[in-house]
Amino acid sequence: MLHAKIINSSIEKIEISRAEEFLRSEKFGAVIYFIGVVRDNNENKKVNGITYDAKESMVIKSFEEIYNETEQKLGIKNKSVFIEHVKGYLKLSEKSILIGVACKHRDEAYRLSRFIIEEIKKRSPIWKKEHYENEDSEWLKGISLTT
Amino acid sequence: MKISVELFGAAREFSKTKYLEFNFSKSCKIIDIKKKLYEYVDNKFNGNLNYKEIIKSSAFCSDKDQLIKENQILNKNQIIGIIPPIGGG
Repeated sequence: MLHAKIINSSIEKIEISRAEEFLRSEKFGAVIYFIGVVRDNNENKKVNGITYDAKESMVIKSFEEIYNETEQKLGIKNKSVFIEHVKGYLKLSEKSILIGVACKHRDEAYRLSRFIIEEIKKRSPIWKKEHYENEDSEWLKGISLTT
Repeated sequence: MKISVELFGAAREFSKTKYLEFNFSKSCKIIDIKKKLYEYVDNKFNGNLNYKEIIKSSAFCSDKDQLIKENQILNKNQIIGIIPPIGGG
């Protein structure tokens, strides 16, 4: 089971309670939450906040593809996965991404959680614009998807 | 033939609008669209090298959210997306 959604930060926030509700099952003995939050510095620059941009339909498609690949690549058949990523402006300490995974055992859950975040970093069309203390801002350099 | 390029990420700095539109007399490939974008940056931003680097390192996607191969031929009016280097999470 997969829940995948882009959260518009001007309308709502990422809530762990939604993931808890989605992942709750008597079938699974291990549940892990990975949460990305906005931190106050990057490369010696004081950060005040981040604007996230996303090509939403393509991001959701990438989440679905990543989820579908986990059975073959990790050998994890029975699982439940909850992924939400923000689009829009976030202040310091606010949540940008929540990946919740539920599996039978902890080893599967740790591997699944790590796999999903690493693949999202490599494949999902999401961008960050950092806003600095001196009122400058900058789009962060990332991974090119050129074919 | 008209190709509309939807702007994302760092490429949003190219315009206050969501799209840039380019006309082609016949079919085109990604390399032709990149040429039009370079010309646009030359004219609008005095050849801004950072913007040109964004174009160089960008991929492009179809309205079906498929990455477009460099040698793929586009032969009808369509909207494509420019996908600068990514980095979410």
